[in-house]
Amino acid sequence: MAERILEIKNLTKNFGGVTALNKLDLHVNEKEILALIGPNGAGKTTVFNMITGVYQPTEGEILFKGGSIVGKKRFEITQAGIARTFQNIRLWGDMTALENVITATDVHSRAGLVGSLFGSSRSRKTEKASKTKAHEILEFIGIQEHEDRLAKNLPYGVQRRLEIARAMGTGAKLLLLDEPAAGFNPAEKVALAETIKKIRDGGYTILLIEHDMSLIMGISDRVAVLDFGVKIADDLPNKVQNDPKVIEAYLGVPSDAS
Amino acid sequence: MSKLRDFNLRDWGASHWAGWDRPRRVIFVLAVIALVALLPFAGNFSFTNILNTPISSYADVLVYPIGMFVLMSLGLNIVVGKSGMLDLGYVAFFAIGAYTMGVLGIHTHLNTWEILPIGMALAMVAGVILGVPSLRLRGDYLAIVTLGFGEIVRLIALNTMKIGGPNGLSNIPNPPPIFGLNFDLTNPKAFFWLIFVMIMLTIWMIRRLSVRRPGRAWEAIRQDEDAAELMGVPTLKYKIWSFVLGAAIGGAAGVVYAAKTLYISPDAFTFNISVLILSCIVFGGIGNIWGVIVGGVFLAYLPERIRFISDARQLIFGLTMLIIMNFRPDGLLPRKKREKMVHSNQKSAVKHG
Repeated sequence: MAERILEIKNLTKNFGGVTALNKLDLHVNEKEILALIGPNGAGKTTVFNMITGVYQPTEGEILFKGGSIVGKKRFEITQAGIARTFQNIRLWGDMTALENVITATDVHSRAGLVGSLFGSSRSRKTEKASKTKAHEILEFIGIQEHEDRLAKNLPYGVQRRLEIARAMGTGAKLLLLDEPAAGFNPAEKVALAETIKKIRDGGYTILLIEHDMSLIMGISDRVAVLDFGVKIADDLPNKVQNDPKVIEAYLGVPSDAS
Repeated sequence: MSKLRDFNLRDWGASHWAGWDRPRRVIFVLAVIALVALLPFAGNFSFTNILNTPISSYADVLVYPIGMFVLMSLGLNIVVGKSGMLDLGYVAFFAIGAYTMGVLGIHTHLNTWEILPIGMALAMVAGVILGVPSLRLRGDYLAIVTLGFGEIVRLIALNTMKIGGPNGLSNIPNPPPIFGLNFDLTNPKAFFWLIFVMIMLTIWMIRRLSVRRPGRAWEAIRQDEDAAELMGVPTLKYKIWSFVLGAAIGGAAGVVYAAKTLYISPDAFTFNISVLILSCIVFGGIGNIWGVIVGGVFLAYLPERIRFISDARQLIFGLTMLIIMNFRPDGLLPRKKREKMVHSNQKSAVKHG
């Protein structure tokens, strides 16, 4: 049995009178690719927002490597080892690709402000290490030739990849990817699937929100399905694909059966 | 017209600078320092007579407002330009520095050089006191709180009789001489050189921090604070740092101001000053050190130079602002826009992307 890196218990989120998420139980095993799918408004991004500390859960518990992360500050959760990408790209547009990743690697930098000012040997070492690491990550993701360009000027596909690179830069081993293939053409999706597998093989765990079924079926080890804030399936991809409840959630109930 | 809008002197300068080797850069910097240091003598020749300002002497104007404005603009630029927080009460730190000099200079035996670090420290403490609760706010809300803070500091000075109340403080001592250089009313050159050294130290500090972790954190906060926080940047900590560094520079400027004018009153620390300093930044090029310096020099010098037309100078000031902001909305020397030279061939294709 694989180690559980993330465990979500009884997670509930109410926005006023609307229950966005209702008693969700979900776990992510180490080094697996878990896809979180569901129709629009099912609560997928809400789950991400609660894991990363953007929202506080109304109820429930989120355990990362066995310790609770509910109530921690957002940057502390990132420091602990969870990083995400955004559904709408949120890079720092006026920084170069490389600077975007270096800024993320600073998470574990021990260079203080005073040390940076006077160029202490510790700060110089960390600066160098950050840069090296950022180079490695960009190369790993395959966008190193764009490193000197401003993020806002990069092609769309490269921006999406840069978001993943930036999340990896934080040193997090659990990556939450929020629709990384949105707006991609089929060829780009295939390439992205390869990259995601490569990242996993590099020792990362991936929790993925995605709508593209062929991509999900191709790379996920497990698929969890949300519908109206409730988990209706959590199984191997091919089993989920044929689950009548899942088909119903996506396509609706045939009128003669109701 | 669009040519005027797109021309970026900073990029032009940066590409030249990048092509130079070390000795050439050192010579260039030393030459610039020497030239600036000679500025107090620049009004002495018949052909440079046009530089001279009516009413107050040219050398005095170099110290206040020009030098002071440049120094404070650089300090405020850390807050507004680097980390993107609108601070409308910057004058408060200037006032705290000035009153520290005034009170300690009159009532104790400490001299200006000893009071300088105290004034900076007090301004920094004030920065933390203001920053910790208010930096959770953003944008307009932060601007309102800082505006209030600036006014509160002035009103406290106005209503505290122990520090002079509306009459202010007079008979503040001049700084004692250093290296045989006398600091007194008849020798504004000395004050100019002092401020010039402070400006150079500030530039050194900003340039240094900009390319390191704090600079990146500020930049990330300015561009997308939520993304920064989610990528592990302790945003509150870095926002407070930027506030505190800005405060320290404002405090230092205040100490020197009080030691130069020998008399301070609450009238010298109105909301106007905060707005003027902010104007210098916006006018020159928000976020870019050289732009901020140009803005500070220009907006400080212009009203003094045209003082002979008395109140109409405000009109000229406003018109100048309007015209420049219309043609160069990012300021005279905008912050870094262009990517590295390698990609300059792609520039035209992606410039507006």
